[in-house]
Amino acid sequence: MSENTTPSAAHASNVAEAAVEPVGAPPSPLRETWDYFKKNRGALAGLIVIAIILFLALAAQWVAPFDPVAQDRTAFLKPPIWMEGADPRYILGTDAVGRDILSRLIHGAQLSVSIGVVVVILSMIAGIALGMVAGYFRGWVEVGVMRLMDIMLALPSLIMALAIVAILGPGLENAMLAIAIVQLPHYVRLTRASVVSELNKEYVIASQIAGAGHVRQMFVNILPNCMAPLIVQGTLGISSAILDAAALGFLGLGAQPPLPEWGTMLSEAREFVGSAWWVITFPGLCILVTVLAFNLMGDGLRDALDPKMKR
Amino acid sequence: MSFLDAKPGVPLLESDDLVRHYEVNRGLGKPNATVKALDGVSFSLEAQKTLAVVGESGCGKSTLGRQLTLIEKPTSGALKLNGTEVGHLSDKEAKQFRRTVQMIFQNPYGSLNPRKKVGQILAEPVLLNMDNLGRKEREERVRATMAKVGLRPEFYQRYPHMFSGGQRQRIAIARALILEPKVIVADEPVSALDVSVQAQVLNLMMDLQEEMNVAYVFISHDLSVVRHIADDVMVMYLGRVAEKGPTEEIFAKPLHPYTRALLASAPKIDPTQRVKAEPLTGELPSPINPPSGCAFHKRCPFATEECAKVRPELRNFEGREVACHRVEEIA
Amino acid sequence: MALLEVKNLTVEFGSEDKPFRAVDSVSYSVDRGEVLGIVGESGSGKSVSSLAVMGLIDFPGRVSADSLTFDGQDLLTMPAKRRREITGKDIAMIFQDPMSALNPCFTVEAQIMEALKVHEGGNKKQRRERTLELLNQVGIPDPKSRMTAYPHQLSGGMSQRIVIAMAIACKPRLLIADEPTTALDVTIQAQIIDLLLKLQEDSDMGLILITHDLALVSEAANRIQVMYAGQLFESGPADSIFAAPRHPYTQALLEALPERSEGHDRLRTIPGVVPGQYDRPAGCLLAPRCRYANESCVKARPEVSDFNGRDVRCFYPLNDQGQPTGMATGETV
Repeated sequence: MSENTTPSAAHASNVAEAAVEPVGAPPSPLRETWDYFKKNRGALAGLIVIAIILFLALAAQWVAPFDPVAQDRTAFLKPPIWMEGADPRYILGTDAVGRDILSRLIHGAQLSVSIGVVVVILSMIAGIALGMVAGYFRGWVEVGVMRLMDIMLALPSLIMALAIVAILGPGLENAMLAIAIVQLPHYVRLTRASVVSELNKEYVIASQIAGAGHVRQMFVNILPNCMAPLIVQGTLGISSAILDAAALGFLGLGAQPPLPEWGTMLSEAREFVGSAWWVITFPGLCILVTVLAFNLMGDGLRDALDPKMKR
Repeated sequence: MSFLDAKPGVPLLESDDLVRHYEVNRGLGKPNATVKALDGVSFSLEAQKTLAVVGESGCGKSTLGRQLTLIEKPTSGALKLNGTEVGHLSDKEAKQFRRTVQMIFQNPYGSLNPRKKVGQILAEPVLLNMDNLGRKEREERVRATMAKVGLRPEFYQRYPHMFSGGQRQRIAIARALILEPKVIVADEPVSALDVSVQAQVLNLMMDLQEEMNVAYVFISHDLSVVRHIADDVMVMYLGRVAEKGPTEEIFAKPLHPYTRALLASAPKIDPTQRVKAEPLTGELPSPINPPSGCAFHKRCPFATEECAKVRPELRNFEGREVACHRVEEIA
Repeated sequence: MALLEVKNLTVEFGSEDKPFRAVDSVSYSVDRGEVLGIVGESGSGKSVSSLAVMGLIDFPGRVSADSLTFDGQDLLTMPAKRRREITGKDIAMIFQDPMSALNPCFTVEAQIMEALKVHEGGNKKQRRERTLELLNQVGIPDPKSRMTAYPHQLSGGMSQRIVIAMAIACKPRLLIADEPTTALDVTIQAQIIDLLLKLQEDSDMGLILITHDLALVSEAANRIQVMYAGQLFESGPADSIFAAPRHPYTQALLEALPERSEGHDRLRTIPGVVPGQYDRPAGCLLAPRCRYANESCVKARPEVSDFNGRDVRCFYPLNDQGQPTGMATGETV
């Protein structure tokens, strides 16, 4: 058998030919993506805001001036420092039980970011697995998975999340799980669509002829080519996860007090809407800015990663 | 004895009345239609020879390529490697079979995984088929094959998008060769390339044939390329063979009216080589609803009533095979 | 006066300080009743130059030319609206892929009638009659029943005929056909080329046929331009340019054709690839691939000059024997 013999010496003629071929240096894919991304000012602004939020979340213990749950009985509902009657120690004022709002917001960033990331990771893993199987094997597997996803999409997402939390019991972990389940269909559909279009490409057939099995085809050959839209969806998914978690928190089914989750903070401050606007405005602004930043970055990423948008 | 061992006197790859039909769903309430993409094709390929399969799009030449590499299983008919039937192998046997029969695709932009480096692309067949090789030996083999097809060693770490069409096709050829197959099915390997690059790739394929003793099934629509590279030519029309024979003879004296029309339609630079003939009228009929009798009769200048009724079978004439009722008169 | 006259047309992409010249000072002209063939490999700028003539180069591409006149009118200085009128009515263009040139949502009839409405007017009945006439003209069998067909119901050859019908709907005086048969089979290609030449002859149109297929232009065109990496390398009458190429590139292209080889000999290849955006040679663009190139070719870029009645961009144009002229003895590689 000739199996182990190393292929013999090279062709002089062809090597000589190829050696003359000048090789261009087009930018690497990563570099190209970045070049497109940074042209989009909104996306860049989003990235900067996200970087700040991430920093605050990671360094909350050191950055926040106070313990987020420590109550100061001498300073209930103090306004922000630029207003009359403010306590100079509390920059954004205090809430009804004398907790520093700024510190709570900074620690809340930690919670919100981790909610977003955990939810997206959970639903991405499950969604990619389901979508991949559906798109790769087609037939009744696909019908089963996709119809189930259609049913999930037919229910209003918040109501479904509420129902799941109601079954599992309120709390941050259960809320995250519920949101992950609600987000699942998006990843499944996206993955399946990409897989189906990749499946027709000749490199997949080439690998099949090379002897690649199903698992290798799915996760080594096809998956990396489907990641671009999934990354975009993931970025946008973080913002909707934060929003949903805030909504659940507001309804009292998410993070439980005294955890400084932004939605929960909103909920606790409901009764002071008229008298102490700062208690409710700042958490709301935080949610707005974070969600907006993730959306802007997601849009920028989509433009940068989608070859159709390029020249 | 397995299908991997060559046997004296037995052709390397052989097909007998190979058929591939596709069921097409025509929508609610209508019965499914059958597309006869491949409707009874027989040929045999000797070791180290090149058989060209020629025809227009929709003639079944690519479908034939898919059957030969067992990407799809034929509906009926026999496909033999070294005299052993291989049409219905188990997955495990099919993997062994594909070590002997590899494939090169038309579009070098689609056939290389854009997220893999050249080294990884070339290593995949070795990794999956030669379990006894270690990491180092595998890389050695990849690098040796790269040298063989004229790819510089530093390309090992590059991604496909950094290469031109010609270089990509070299990578594709290297991937097909790395397992040292006996047959390579090349589906329009040069039609996406520029003239100057096409010549490089054709030369490379011919060099490699001599060096590695590989046989080609060369699927193409370009007659001048076929004339240059093939030993035998098989002209297909609507899933069936119109004419089959040695390249020189077919080009010197095409017998089937379709072969003649193909040759006359191809533009030539040399004014003396131009064949002035009436261009073929009409288009390829739908394979869902092929014409009765000879599939070519509606476009054929020689067609008679018989052609519209009776399907001509492939028969021997002047040392080659032709499927035409009136070949004696035409010749 | 020539119908279309292009002088030193240049198209640049990329940044101002480091532009990429897709088309580099290309000049040509087409007369009424003439077929000009433009040949080149991919990246030769053959398509971009005609898009520039049509005014179809969008930002960030930059078009400049010494002059660009159609029938004596300067296309560069005229108002954009007037130019659009000309490029829609008097100059028509057809593209490689007939399927994407037709809108999949509308019937053949609707699309041709729309084109007529914009440029010719007339009432619905007249336009319908004209549509039928056009479909007959481009050789569509049973045109009445095809009028109501959607593009996806047509084959590639039929679609290209429809596209041609739309292009000639307004009786253009110049038709630019960019690889009109590349997506089609040989027998259909022959039909389409015959059709184009017939239409061109009947109406005394000018026709620019852009293709990569040397054999195709050699049969169809009166005059041929060979382009390489955005530059014009050689131009001249079709019958003589391939019989006695003056530029080494034309010669090498012809030798690389399988048609020219005998039996199973290896083809003569042009080593390397067409230079792209990042690897342009400083001297003659062909120098790294040219078998005759010497030091002066590597250092300086040749200009287009007249050689035996042919425009050639080469320091050492070839003689009838295919040998370079004007080289100092002993310099040949």
